[in-house]
Amino acid sequence: MNRTRQIGFSYLFLFPSFLLTMVLGVYPIAWAIRYMFYEYKGFGAASFVGFDNFRRLLEDSEYWHSVINTFVYAGGKLLITLPLSLILAVILNQKLRGRNWLRAIYFMPTIISSAVMAVVFFIIFNSYNGILNQYLIKFHIISERIDWLGPKHAMLTTIIIAAWGAVGNYMLLFLAGLQNIPNDVYESSSLDGANKWQQFWYLTIPMLGPVLQIVIMLAIINSLKGYESIMVLTEGGPVGKTEVMYLYVYKLFFPTASGSLTEQQFGYGSAVGFVTAVIVGIITLAYHAMSRRLNKLQ
Amino acid sequence: MEVVTESFRGNSVKKQVRQVSFGKISGKVLLWIFLLVTALVIIFPVVVTFLGSLMSNIEITKGGTIFPSSLHFENYSEAWVQANFARFTWNSLFLSGATTIGTLIVASMAAYVVERIAFPGKALFVGIQAATMFISIGAVVIRPQFELMVKLHLHTNLWGVVLILISGHAYIFFILLSFLQGISRELDEAARIDGCTNAGIFWRIILPLMRPGLGVGALFTFCGAWNEYLRPLVFTMTNPKLQTLTVGLSYLRYGASAAVQTHYMLAGACLSILPLLVVYMIANKSFMQMTAGSLKG
Repeated sequence: MNRTRQIGFSYLFLFPSFLLTMVLGVYPIAWAIRYMFYEYKGFGAASFVGFDNFRRLLEDSEYWHSVINTFVYAGGKLLITLPLSLILAVILNQKLRGRNWLRAIYFMPTIISSAVMAVVFFIIFNSYNGILNQYLIKFHIISERIDWLGPKHAMLTTIIIAAWGAVGNYMLLFLAGLQNIPNDVYESSSLDGANKWQQFWYLTIPMLGPVLQIVIMLAIINSLKGYESIMVLTEGGPVGKTEVMYLYVYKLFFPTASGSLTEQQFGYGSAVGFVTAVIVGIITLAYHAMSRRLNKLQ
Repeated sequence: MEVVTESFRGNSVKKQVRQVSFGKISGKVLLWIFLLVTALVIIFPVVVTFLGSLMSNIEITKGGTIFPSSLHFENYSEAWVQANFARFTWNSLFLSGATTIGTLIVASMAAYVVERIAFPGKALFVGIQAATMFISIGAVVIRPQFELMVKLHLHTNLWGVVLILISGHAYIFFILLSFLQGISRELDEAARIDGCTNAGIFWRIILPLMRPGLGVGALFTFCGAWNEYLRPLVFTMTNPKLQTLTVGLSYLRYGASAAVQTHYMLAGACLSILPLLVVYMIANKSFMQMTAGSLKG
């Protein structure tokens, strides 16, 4: 009897969490899976079209451009963020005057809204009266204004902004990993005559292995997913140069006046969302398998 | 410089030592330059926001410097009234506050039961929670969520958004779960022998002991809800009265009028950043620890 009461109590306590997760987390996904096979514009009746949405997707060059853009965006972001955050973490793991202040400053962007900062970055990066151009000209680094948000540089600019927001976060995760490495390893190796670089390559990196794997995985998923700041800063423009996968999905559901997509397409949007989730899932799993293989090799 | 070249050639031990110490010092200098430049780059946009919020609109538009020639504190009072930031701030506070309280209640109840009691379906429940963190089909889910809220008549206020944000409590659930693992079970056993019920144990023993963990969860949830952009944006498209700071600000960026009022925009950005920054600076130490700890969970 006591056991039944325990179980009953458990279910009672789990109920709010379970209900919310099912109704607002799982049901929407089921909704999308159903409408992938329908033509549905958000009003009127939905008509069953089978795999038509997926056929259309194969020929949708705008989407596949956004997939390539996403890879460029995520790749660029990782290339800047990971080494920089690791270096900062290693430095700030040592005894250094003012290291708590520096940690606080580096981590700060993490707590600030990326949507709000996109508004500020627009003021900094816009080509006509943007602060960056004006300072670069003032200090004679460039002679002509650079169109940071134009077709040529927009992707680079969004990558820089994304890296700005992410470095501190990964630095902190690396720091957490570094603090688990016992100090005497370093002491004995320096007695053996190892210098700082050797210690970094042959001690820190291998011992940080598991943490490194998790952080890289988080970084991959996050950079494939993020689109809020791009949405506010460029809306995917100019001419689709900064369009990323999830932003494209968003626009199918909530078309913007300035974009090329002007009508709601829930059926097609669901299919695109699903395929995007699968792409992200495959990349994550592939990375997971690869890092496990590397583990075995060592 | 001379020291270096000499010691490269030189073979006396004394010179070697001098070279090492010189290398060390220049290394330190380089290190500090690197650290300070990085810090400066990170902090620059925030400084621009703060200083720009005190400039006149003409001065910002003209540009040329980030330092205001005279301080226009009235930007804040005007933004507060004219750009409706009073309303936005209240909406943001309500959204974040309600989401935080709701998330903590829901997640702590679930975490307590999962950590302490054996029941059928536990693995399934934990599996579903974990899955919600990793599967993302993007903005697709917002549509069914919105339609549900219309049916429940919760789309005309912010409660709909609050419920949706609470439903994303998996992350906090796992943080609290790992926190609970660190609290000794003997305490609740003792209470049980004294005749305390499950609910009593949760309320009188677990919750008070979990206070640091709840603080961590509260900070995370509050920051997350305060910065949430997409859902408030979608839910307030037809009802600007419900806009939060993040949404109201991005609307200013496209400006209803021809001339963008950048000074209001920056004052608003400050209003949305500063409260979080102040809390962050106060709670810096525990903030660092909890973020670091969350990796293990």
